[in-house]
Amino acid sequence: MPKPLLGGEGEKVFLLGNEAIARGALEAGVGFVAAYPGTPSTEIVEALASVAKDLGIHVEWSSNEKVAFEAAYGAAMAGVRSLTAMKHVGVNVAADPLMSSAYTGVKGGFVIVSADDPGMWSSQNEQDNRYYGLHAFIPVFEAYCPQEAKDVVRDLFDFSEKMGHPVIFRSTTRLSHSRGIVRLGKLPRPKTKGVFEKNPAKWTLIPQYARKHRVRLLEKWERIKKELATWPYNRFISNDSKYTIIAPGIAYGYVVDELRTLGVEHKVNVLKLSSTVPLPEDMIVKVLEVSEKILVVEELEPIVEVEVKRIAYDHGLASNVEIHGKDYIPQYSELTPNRVRTAIAKFIGLSVPEYSPVKLSGLEIPPRPPTFCPGCPHRSTFYLLKKAVNSLRLKPIYSGDIGCYSLAVLPPFEEQDIIIEMGGSIGAANGLAHVIDQPVIAIIGDSTFFHAGLPGMINSIYNDAPMLILVLDNRITAMTGHQPHPGTGMKATGEKARIIDIASIARASGIEYVDVIDPYDVSDAYVRLRKALEYVVNEKKTALVVAKRACSLLVHSMALRKGIVTPLYIVDEDKCTGCGVCYDFFGCPAIVPLSNGKAKIDPAMCTGCGVCAQICPFKAIRIIREGDKSWKELWF
Amino acid sequence: MERTMVLSRRKTINMVIVGVGGQGLITLGRVLGNASIISGTNILVSEIHGLAQRGGSVIVHVRIGEPNSPLVPLGGADIVLGLELIEVVRYLEYANHDSLFIVNNRVIRPSLPKVRAPSPQAILSKLKELGLNIIAINARELAEKAGSSLSENIVMLGALMGTGVLDEYISLDHVKKAIKKTLPPRWHEVNIKALELGYMEAKKQIA
Ligand SMILES: Cc1ncc(C[n+]2csc(CCOP(=O)(O)OP(=O)(O)O)c2C)c(N)n1
Repeated sequence: MPKPLLGGEGEKVFLLGNEAIARGALEAGVGFVAAYPGTPSTEIVEALASVAKDLGIHVEWSSNEKVAFEAAYGAAMAGVRSLTAMKHVGVNVAADPLMSSAYTGVKGGFVIVSADDPGMWSSQNEQDNRYYGLHAFIPVFEAYCPQEAKDVVRDLFDFSEKMGHPVIFRSTTRLSHSRGIVRLGKLPRPKTKGVFEKNPAKWTLIPQYARKHRVRLLEKWERIKKELATWPYNRFISNDSKYTIIAPGIAYGYVVDELRTLGVEHKVNVLKLSSTVPLPEDMIVKVLEVSEKILVVEELEPIVEVEVKRIAYDHGLASNVEIHGKDYIPQYSELTPNRVRTAIAKFIGLSVPEYSPVKLSGLEIPPRPPTFCPGCPHRSTFYLLKKAVNSLRLKPIYSGDIGCYSLAVLPPFEEQDIIIEMGGSIGAANGLAHVIDQPVIAIIGDSTFFHAGLPGMINSIYNDAPMLILVLDNRITAMTGHQPHPGTGMKATGEKARIIDIASIARASGIEYVDVIDPYDVSDAYVRLRKALEYVVNEKKTALVVAKRACSLLVHSMALRKGIVTPLYIVDEDKCTGCGVCYDFFGCPAIVPLSNGKAKIDPAMCTGCGVCAQICPFKAIRIIREGDKSWKELWF
Repeated sequence: MERTMVLSRRKTINMVIVGVGGQGLITLGRVLGNASIISGTNILVSEIHGLAQRGGSVIVHVRIGEPNSPLVPLGGADIVLGLELIEVVRYLEYANHDSLFIVNNRVIRPSLPKVRAPSPQAILSKLKELGLNIIAINARELAEKAGSSLSENIVMLGALMGTGVLDEYISLDHVKKAIKKTLPPRWHEVNIKALELGYMEAKKQIA
């Protein structure tokens, strides 16, 4: 099939916001891309990786955001247009080089995409990364729809190069994960080779040079503000009204639609903003001069609002104009049509229009949290770990981490007592192990281990913090949609890569007890988990166990795609006693209870892992279809 | 400074597609997007990735016509396309009493210990008591008839087209072309069949 991302000029294609961002970078001739996956940013670099070979550009999944940032920054130092992308919390990981990049500036255009997650659809917090722009003196840009995202990102490379400065493009879940029709522009031939010109006064931030950079940075910030006066994606739409709504980024779309819903689109002015840090000050002053009342419709923190108020004060306009923002729009979660409608109605003194949603009473529906997929090796590992812990009568603290395995926080597993940030499992265990009496089990995924688990593991050996480190190695970064990592054996572009072996790293770091288990081999894995736990408890030393088995969702979808027959299991109704172990305590979604309590396997969902057959206390589950030979070879 | 906002007055159709992660809701959005390009209408589709895909509850917002923003307002859905009945109930606040419900006659048990799930009949009769406009489709059965139980989503898309609510914007033929553009070739035949079966079933129920 043709790749929409490589479509010709003028062609209209249906793109995810993230794909539009990727296309914008391609239209700017991006030559180097490095990132670490994270929802809602991931598809930007997935899209770029899928066309890297066609265009001859370098695209990589790096081991974490700091490394990704530094790699892209390095390429930009040599004059190659570079992009890095990460979720909002990824910027925390990359914050150190981010701060420095504003001091040194760059040679090639350097675009940092921060994909924020208002509403915390798949994140531990909803920080507003426009603050990073203020903090680091890096300008921040936004867009309201996929088309504009493409165009803005394309133009940002020119802007960055012209100013010799990094720029942040800030997306949010509802932009990154909205699909819309995008008209494509021209694809230039990318420049992939650069030249690094030695210049220590520019590229080395020793104090004597850094102090000079700091002064220059403040001057540059003023130049950037002036330059923004002509940024074409900021626009004042006047209706000769005394009322103005300021709508940064995605807010613009909601404001336009809700003004129309309320029938007042000709009664207020709208200032559409794409450059949100710093603000185009002259433009804001003009808006303040013609307005008596202003409403800033803004997602999350009052960043534009506070700046507009500051500008009003500095220009002596504060007493002429009433400025609203967070008093009308909640500071938490994302914008919605209803929130924006209510705020606008209040602002212009209309009654809030009623709507009558359908209400149903007298019917309880159960919640449906996400669960481990059928065949997920994590399910088996958690099931067996719990059994091992119970058999030794231990009351461990499970220091958990971020990944699919976080789902074990929920029943029936409840084996995640702490979840803070990536790598935090081993990190927090380094403290807990010294101050509590219970054993500590740090549970971490393979991608997360490479991302930020390694320094914590080394610390636990160095500072004698005994723990069981259980690495759930499903060979891939599953949570974010199956990106390869240093342990997978594959690069972002699909090329073969060397496998960096977790058990070997652990041994080389001085851990004496290292084991590798297969979660599908139930009795063997159980015995070995028990042994590792005994070692940690008795020897008071760190042990590391790798539970190694590829992500079943990925393997199963490969099998479906290739038409490979997978094994299938069935419940023997005569032997099944309806004990519920398989559907209630093991919790496989492919197994459902019949009205008599007996189990039934849905053949459309069974992946053939065979774990249920091994754990059934009554041996009531058996295989009825052997899979193709090639099925076994899919497990990488 | 521009004088007025340039806005078209064509009505925007608001639809929510609800179901369970893994049922192919995102594919439906992609097919509708490509169908819109072919037919020359504008569309915005908003979805949630990540955690929600792991068998969790999923809602996809689809706005066809002249949308500038991605979300369907509460009480603002013209159409609820439900791939699973518990999820239809969960997202009822997006619907109003004039909404058209096109629902898959099926309940998927959430995999939680000791969970109690209402039956499809119980849910449907409750919804009908409210006097809602409902078309219920046995999508699993029709998908199997078409050749794959995985094509339930496309059966439901066929049913949506069969109701005629999108006729002003997208035709069945646009959707067929879009399926060929969106899905890998080896799935075309089954899915076109699934589409047609869903289409005819809805037509039959309306007649
Ligand atoms: C700093 C940061 N970067 C990225 C993410 C997004 N993210 C969540 S979990 C995860 C990794 C999951 O991979 P792995 O540890 O292998 O576990 P799996 O999901 O495969 O079980 C990522 C990248 C994040 N939460 N925080």
